[in-house]
Amino acid sequence: MMSLDRFRKNYIALAGAIIILFYVLVALLSLVWLPQDPLAMNSAEILKGPSFATGHLMGTDEFGRDIFSRVIVGSRISEIIAVGATGLGGAIGIFMGIWAGYLGGRWDNVIMRVTDVLFSFPTLLLALFIMAVLGEKTFNIVVAIGIVYIPQFARLSRASILAIRSSDYVRAARSIGGSRSYILFRHLLPNILVPIIVQISLSLSVAVLLESALSFLGLGVQPPAPSWGNMLSAARKYMTFAPWTAVFPGLAIVVLVLGFNLLGDGLRDLLDPRLKNVA
Amino acid sequence: MGRYIAKRLLSLIPVLLGVSILVFFLVRLIPGTALEMYMGTQVEATPQQMIELKRVFGEDKPIPILYLDWLSRIVRGDFGYSLRTGRPVLPDVLGRLPLTLEITLIALILSLVIGLPLGIFAALRNGPVSDAVIRVTGLLGLSLPQFWLAALLVLAFSNFQGWIPMGDFVPFLRNPFQNLKMLFFPSLAIGVGLAAVIMRYTRNSMLEVLQMDYIRTARAKGLSRKSVVVRHALRNAILPVVTIVGFNTGYLVGGAIVIEEVFALPGMGRLALNAIQQRDYPLLQAIVLLIALLFVLINLLTDILYAVIDPRIRLHEGSDT
Amino acid sequence: MKQIAPRIMALVVLTFALAPGLFASGQTETTAPAAATGGGTLTIGVDQEAVGLDPNIVTAFSSFTRLDLMYNRLVKLDDKLQIVPDLAESWEVPNNLTYIFHLRHGVKFHSGRELTADDVKYSLERILDAKTHSPGRSYIDVIKQIDVVDPYTVKLTLSSPLASLLAGLSSTNCAIVPKEDVEKYGNLQRNEDGTGPFKLADWVPDNSMTLVKNPDYFEAGKPYLDKIIFRVIPEQTSLLAGVKAGTLDMATLSDGSLILQAKKDSSLNVMTTPGINIRTFSFNTTHKPFDDVRVRDAVAMAIDRSEIIATAEMGLAQPTGPVPSSAGQWALPMSQLPFSTPDLAKAKDLLAQAGYPDGFSFNIVASPTYEGGLAVAQVIQNELKKIGLKPEIQSVEWGTYIDRWVKRDFDTMVELRGGSPEPDRFLYRTFYSTGGVNNFMFKDKEVDALLDQGRQLTTFAERKPIYDKLQVLLTQKAPAVFLYTPEQTEILKPYVKGFKVMGNGSLLFLEETKLAK
Repeated sequence: MMSLDRFRKNYIALAGAIIILFYVLVALLSLVWLPQDPLAMNSAEILKGPSFATGHLMGTDEFGRDIFSRVIVGSRISEIIAVGATGLGGAIGIFMGIWAGYLGGRWDNVIMRVTDVLFSFPTLLLALFIMAVLGEKTFNIVVAIGIVYIPQFARLSRASILAIRSSDYVRAARSIGGSRSYILFRHLLPNILVPIIVQISLSLSVAVLLESALSFLGLGVQPPAPSWGNMLSAARKYMTFAPWTAVFPGLAIVVLVLGFNLLGDGLRDLLDPRLKNVA
Repeated sequence: MGRYIAKRLLSLIPVLLGVSILVFFLVRLIPGTALEMYMGTQVEATPQQMIELKRVFGEDKPIPILYLDWLSRIVRGDFGYSLRTGRPVLPDVLGRLPLTLEITLIALILSLVIGLPLGIFAALRNGPVSDAVIRVTGLLGLSLPQFWLAALLVLAFSNFQGWIPMGDFVPFLRNPFQNLKMLFFPSLAIGVGLAAVIMRYTRNSMLEVLQMDYIRTARAKGLSRKSVVVRHALRNAILPVVTIVGFNTGYLVGGAIVIEEVFALPGMGRLALNAIQQRDYPLLQAIVLLIALLFVLINLLTDILYAVIDPRIRLHEGSDT
Repeated sequence: MKQIAPRIMALVVLTFALAPGLFASGQTETTAPAAATGGGTLTIGVDQEAVGLDPNIVTAFSSFTRLDLMYNRLVKLDDKLQIVPDLAESWEVPNNLTYIFHLRHGVKFHSGRELTADDVKYSLERILDAKTHSPGRSYIDVIKQIDVVDPYTVKLTLSSPLASLLAGLSSTNCAIVPKEDVEKYGNLQRNEDGTGPFKLADWVPDNSMTLVKNPDYFEAGKPYLDKIIFRVIPEQTSLLAGVKAGTLDMATLSDGSLILQAKKDSSLNVMTTPGINIRTFSFNTTHKPFDDVRVRDAVAMAIDRSEIIATAEMGLAQPTGPVPSSAGQWALPMSQLPFSTPDLAKAKDLLAQAGYPDGFSFNIVASPTYEGGLAVAQVIQNELKKIGLKPEIQSVEWGTYIDRWVKRDFDTMVELRGGSPEPDRFLYRTFYSTGGVNNFMFKDKEVDALLDQGRQLTTFAERKPIYDKLQVLLTQKAPAVFLYTPEQTEILKPYVKGFKVMGNGSLLFLEETKLAK
């Protein structure tokens, strides 16, 4: 498939990987060290601008908390939600898609109609609904975004399975007596991997955006835990005269999402031979 | 083709039925009832009053029965009355629809106006540097949270008289110019992402076409570069872009929901958020059903368009279900 | 060099930041040419839409502020929150079970018909009828009988004395409505026919409500304005921006940081007055360990009101006890109430005595809306950690918040209680063991006895000692920690004259407002 060497030459994918690696390192670092306590309030330092002198490199929020530290901790929350939701939605969706695509028939019909229904909602609206039902907890965001992802992964993996189910080498494997599960895992799975990897990186990026939108609408991560989304949500009121409260968490989102998108885009080039000549 | 469309339209019925069930039950799974919201935290009621209120708010029957009641009424076009305002639901919802559609449409136009020329330009200036710039810019456009971009726009342009709507929204028919001016930034905020997608697809598609034999032939025959690009390459390159645009239009509708909240625009999205907050079930059900219908129709339209452009899809679709 | 970071940020928003300056010169002046006195259109920005127009039925505060201008009650509150005449020009109280109201002559409904004592009787009976579901019913349910003495005199007979009757009648929920309209439309949720200074002209929900001058208003010469437009703008930031930009003439603001910002702007007039709502940190007194008064007291001692006010309200609030400090004569000063200054050592002692030397975990239910007090919850959480408690905030969407409130599903909750200048109105329904909004499930015989006593007496001198005792007792028994009363704030363009801010948030003084531009 792809060699490390080709990956290294694909600057787009490389840049994405470096950004993501940086965020992961920051998140890991935040477990052992933080510039300041992200929860410590200081009523004497409310909404102070960024400055080296006070040590608040990104300023303070409406409780006098250090925004820099909060943005750092926020990376942990966003990454966990992105990975969790993509993992959950991906696992269930891929399983359903393969099942539907490989078995076909009635199950295929049922599963596809369910995904059709879920597909009839704009993603944010569906996630919003599920959050309202489940209640505002960090774990529930993972579930809500995960559910939104299920039909996407299901459709994608079903389509890929359909495309190759009837291909020569699967027929050959079947004719020499390979068991169903053997064929599924030995032949089918590796072949649908390419579009799924691309979909995963796209899903990771959308999850970060969805989390921030949910928190922005007040249905997200529980305070005082700092998520970028709820930082932005709080900043709405102060941004006209304390723009740093909105600018930095927003930038943190943009760069991480860009990282996932760069990686996904680069991987698509690497993995999808059709695009090789073009890009 | 006609059979294909008819078949697709028929297949919408079970989907919409599914949507109606999902909506009806999800709405009632949200903690809190419309009656509780109506009472708030400061109002007292006697037990007799409560019984009467429960009847008025339709909380006196099992949910499946209520669902069948509701379904049989909406089939006849009766969406019921809002629990909060007592007004009929449908006119209020339909009254909000044009604004949401207008934002979506302007966002679509803006994204085409931005994305197409940039994509063509990038294809013509093909090279490693321009390639990197275009791709990163495009991906950046995809990476901006719409509400954040919207908030930055408000921050930046709040001194522009009439450009940022502040609850003083003007309908198109009353003053088209003022209306368009106000919807420019909200539409831009949700259009940027699609513009980025369009730019990338246009570029890729153009590059692919420019490499085709007939283009090379045309160039070899001595046609000017400009005429080759405009008359031959562009026409062929634009087709795949059209389908991408179609598939993403549905997401513009989703984006409009958040944007209406940020810019305080009285569209469907804000109506939906209010209805969720107030547990105004009849209103919420109608809105979500309508949004879903809109969403599904746009996707269907795209599929049809796609099938028209690429007949292979029709055959493929026909063979596996 | 120490301010490097802002510069980086400045770069980020460079394009945005520069642009407005470039265009500022081209900005057009939208304000209309000067009108001498009276007349003109006033546009006011508010953050919530009205939900329904029937004054006897609506529960939303946002409806009250509009309906106040379209309807009248028998009596109303002035800007000092004292009872003054409205439709009744005077009244007598021969004994504490009888009230006789003398109505103004020549008051006309917007339909043109004259208002008489029959309308008063009809409206009060409508409010008292359980089928109407009027929130006003509980304010006046002691009324046993309503007699029309003559077309301009109404006599109310009570089943038991109620000191807060007049305060109850001043509620918008007790507005006088015309019988024929109620009968014609079923209710008045979509139609308006009041006697007030303004008439409803147009209502586009979630956008705007337009009121026009009632030329036949009973107070000669008033109102001065020709038209009032309410614009609904949910974003507080946009409200402020709207007044600055001139698309709004005034706006009601609740967010402290924005009010501070408005105060710095010399082109704006910021009017504030102490409000009558009370921010409370409420306990569910049936949930362990908050059933133990020592635990509640320990929490009360650990809470620093000044820190909460400084952070959550940007300093724009006054500390208060059970009676809003703005209710002047009734309120005991903070210094005479227990736990008015934090004492962490004593709080820890009390916790140890109660059997929780190492603290315990519990939830704080809050909501991101202003009423939901999320910011307050965060400060309190921070403060309570200092005495070893482990509070967990559950910030829920507003609808869920109400649901949790109704179901008493919380250990503690941050609330904004609608207070009243009349102590009986607020305290009875809130802390009486069977009180309608006693969601603390607080039951205390001593408190009940005092509350009963207080509402049956009519003179201030008799009642004052009882409510003084109650204020101390309630603070000690702490069904809730009483935190502060937020200020009520309007921001106005300087040419808006004659307006007064009322502590209860009413916009009644729009009838006396003029534009001088």
